[in-house]
Amino acid sequence: MKDLIQAFTMLGTTYVIPAAMAGLIWGIIGGALPGISASVTMALILPFTFTMDPVSAIVLLAATYIGAEYGGSIPAILIRTPGTNSAAATVIDGYEMKRQGRAGEALGISLWSGILGSLFGLAMLVLLTEPLARIALAFTPMSYFALGILGLSIIASLSGGSLLKGMIAATIGVMVATVGTDPISGVSRFTFGLPELLGGIKPILIMVGLFAVSELLRQSGSKGLEAAGEIVRIKLPNFLTMRKIGKAQAIGCIVGLFEGLMPGGGGSIAAFLSYNEAKRWSRYKEEFGRGSVEGIAAPEAANNTVASASLIPLLSFGIPGSNSAAVLLGGLLIHGLLPGPRLFEKNADVVLGLYTGSFVATVSQLVVGILILPLCIWLVNRPRPYLAAIIFALVLSGIFTINSSVIDLGIVLFTGLIGYIMLLTKFPFLPAILGVVMGPIVESNYRRSLLLSGGDHGIFLEDGIAIGLLVASIVFVVISVVREVREARAVRRAAPAA
Amino acid sequence: MNKDILSGGVLLAVAGLYYLGTRQIARSSLEDGVGADGLPIVLAILLAGLAVLLILRSLIVARPVGGAAAVDGEYHAKFTRALGLLAIAGGYAVVAPIIGYVPALALLIAAVALYEGAQPSWRLAIVAVLGAGGFWLFFVWLLGVEQPSSLLF
Repeated sequence: MKDLIQAFTMLGTTYVIPAAMAGLIWGIIGGALPGISASVTMALILPFTFTMDPVSAIVLLAATYIGAEYGGSIPAILIRTPGTNSAAATVIDGYEMKRQGRAGEALGISLWSGILGSLFGLAMLVLLTEPLARIALAFTPMSYFALGILGLSIIASLSGGSLLKGMIAATIGVMVATVGTDPISGVSRFTFGLPELLGGIKPILIMVGLFAVSELLRQSGSKGLEAAGEIVRIKLPNFLTMRKIGKAQAIGCIVGLFEGLMPGGGGSIAAFLSYNEAKRWSRYKEEFGRGSVEGIAAPEAANNTVASASLIPLLSFGIPGSNSAAVLLGGLLIHGLLPGPRLFEKNADVVLGLYTGSFVATVSQLVVGILILPLCIWLVNRPRPYLAAIIFALVLSGIFTINSSVIDLGIVLFTGLIGYIMLLTKFPFLPAILGVVMGPIVESNYRRSLLLSGGDHGIFLEDGIAIGLLVASIVFVVISVVREVREARAVRRAAPAA
Repeated sequence: MNKDILSGGVLLAVAGLYYLGTRQIARSSLEDGVGADGLPIVLAILLAGLAVLLILRSLIVARPVGGAAAVDGEYHAKFTRALGLLAIAGGYAVVAPIIGYVPALALLIAAVALYEGAQPSWRLAIVAVLGAGGFWLFFVWLLGVEQPSSLLF
């Protein structure tokens, strides 16, 4: 109750509402632009958060994430091109409804289901992350070291089918994190005499380079898209439609929660899983693929639930389970906020602001989503070369928000090139980001623990939390390796048959 | 050549260079048992080992799990195209401190749009100028962000 009152007080005394609105609008616009995923939309706005207060910055990013999930469904329905990966399942019935002249109804169902999914995900976020705050005080350097190891152990789940490539990406990420001043002895490492590198390479630069610049490079030369056509008016579902889509929305919420909690799950997997489950449990199976309202409700509820639920492992353990959560992690790091259990103890206002801002953004979607639709359609109809040029200008200008440094620009462009090569050679991004973020945590806490014990590694076995986390890491890795070996065998068995 | 074999070779070289970099790390009187170069040395060896594994996997497994394909003409074309876009961005970084943020950004917008297939026209020029002006208003005037300062203006 005390927290609830504090949350409402926050609305009047901070910039939570403007940040939530700005993030929501930007998220819907970014999400509506085909090829600009939720994480790219967030990465584009990430540099701006540098000059903001921590609460507003985190609210802005979280609201952007929420908005992008809805925005992605707009081109999915209107031009059969999902704005974000997680809107891919919405294309199936959404575009079919548009062809039947029911685009407004499809957009209304998408918006309504997204809001319900977001609210459900947000409720789970508040309920599930709160208890973890109680164990915050028990964390020692050994526990933090083990937590970092647990974070790195989820690489297997984030490697997109190749554990080896995930491990390589993570190793490179940790290598990047070693640039700068050594946390224990104070000597400089890999700085090449540049004072700008003494503080290390900021994760934000790596994120903007990997997510935003590499995506622009990948899309270079791609053809224009179908025009979205005339302005459409959103038609929210009536009572009968709401009853009809209720079950599909519930399925979407449950699948979305499960996938959001799983590292590497993500909105697109949740959307397709929930679409299949909704079809399986529907009384109107024959309508799926032919403009089914349930076929839009389930994936949209699912991917919006994922947006909130994926923040649970991030806030609880500091482990980003998706690209978008990784960018939000970047937002926290920019302000010196260490994600994980201590965030609740030391920066409760940020966590509370995140909850409040996410709630404001979710509820506001109902109005903002309707009002902003004409602008989104206008933008989707713009020629691709102009859009690409403006987005590129935004990235290059935004970088100067951080340090006004040309070296930062060079780092972002170089990282973008590396990211593009990683895309071409199918190396996953997220393990690299994890390496950059978790590397310093693992190294500094490992060395601090050894300083405490006088070099005796037995200290890690004297800490209950550390043992638990290390055992969990081993279990995680073993399960992932077994799964990958099985998948590889299945592929080999299928190859001769094909 | 297989993409994974090529990647493995490049990664081996990176690991070697990184290891050489660890030799340049100075010693400190505040140093602990692990040392400032402890983790970097482990990382260099780990990356080299993983790179060798990647190469071996590509050579042994007939159909690589990671979906690696041969480096073909299309790959080269895409890569060259991306490098072109990066070169434009690099050009912006060089030109901006000379001619100023707004003119450089206008040139960048025009160059990227042309590179992405827009036709030279008055519309392109207007978009470039208005776009650069809009960014100046937003970043410099509204947010107070210091953009590259000019030698000439």
